[in-house]
Amino acid sequence: MKWKFVLLLALLLALGLPATAFAHGAKIEYTINMAVEIRAAYDTGEPMAGGQVAVYAPDDPSTPWLTGVCDEEGRFTFTPDPSKPGTWDVQVRQSGHGDMVHIPIGENVAMTGGTGYTPLQIVLMAACVVWGFVGTALFFSQRRA
Amino acid sequence: MHIPDGILPAAVCLGGYATTGAATWYSLRKINQQENPREGIPKASLLTAAFFVASWIHIPVPPTSVHLVLNGLLGAVLGYYAFPAILIGLFFQAVMFQHGGLTTLGVNAAMMGLPALVAYHLFRLRRALGKDSRAWTGLFGFLAGAGGLGISVLISLALLITTIPAHLDVETERASIYAMSLAHVPLMALEGVFTALVVLFLQRVKPELLEGGSPLSPFPPTLGGQGGG
Repeated sequence: MKWKFVLLLALLLALGLPATAFAHGAKIEYTINMAVEIRAAYDTGEPMAGGQVAVYAPDDPSTPWLTGVCDEEGRFTFTPDPSKPGTWDVQVRQSGHGDMVHIPIGENVAMTGGTGYTPLQIVLMAACVVWGFVGTALFFSQRRA
Repeated sequence: MHIPDGILPAAVCLGGYATTGAATWYSLRKINQQENPREGIPKASLLTAAFFVASWIHIPVPPTSVHLVLNGLLGAVLGYYAFPAILIGLFFQAVMFQHGGLTTLGVNAAMMGLPALVAYHLFRLRRALGKDSRAWTGLFGFLAGAGGLGISVLISLALLITTIPAHLDVETERASIYAMSLAHVPLMALEGVFTALVVLFLQRVKPELLEGGSPLSPFPPTLGGQGGG
């Protein structure tokens, strides 16, 4: 009789006490979700406030995975689905103006990136092209003379 | 004004290329029919350079800002050279600055080039209407500059309004397209004045540059309109 009581007590201990202990414990899991912040601006540097954003996942480049609107400073933040590695495309457009940025997510992730050039690059490229036109003009006016 | 890649549906881009192809062929044919087709190339090349950099000159029109286009000016001064000039200028803008795009090159060239040809004929009307005074030239220069840009704005408005994709907030986008188009009205006036000044200047210093080297009045300014312009 007595050993049965002991067995029951042991069983309760085995089941009950750890159970209460589990109830008081806490468990935290973590996965790192990278949020992507984009900032859209016009050539002039003026932010594209209120620009409409369409995010395209790598597996479906034709239908938007997410749509949204840029804030006053042209910023928009989203968290891409980590189970879809590849190039995510984000398009921002406003009144027929806009651009699309390609963001690699997954193994070859680039922490920053963008479209466009620095002012120095732009000036240099513009100067080269203009010189090309001027050279063409000089060439043909020389032939004429 | 320059429609970038990824805004218009593929069918519209193809239509733009078809239109641009036809217009380029027609312009080149017209150029080839001239006595000396090479004669116009230097000024066409220089104005292509002007067109190429003009899109970096931004004019603030609150709440937004617009940039110079100059297609009316090119039409008035270059005639049929304007279309290939604009096509080449747009190509370099798209390749160098992503201003516009390669898929929309046809659409943009048609959108800015065809009104340039309209501006050319508008500017020629001054001769058809008889007078050849400075005031008259200035007036038609203004009309060509403002009209060329105005028609472009209308074409772009029509293209953008009818092709807003469904995933956007259509009302917001439509409102901002209208606002953008309205912002071009002051620019039309500005380009009209600029075109008038350029053609008046050319008429004064080198009149043979206007109208492909067939000046009716070799020694301007004529007596008729010295106070004008």
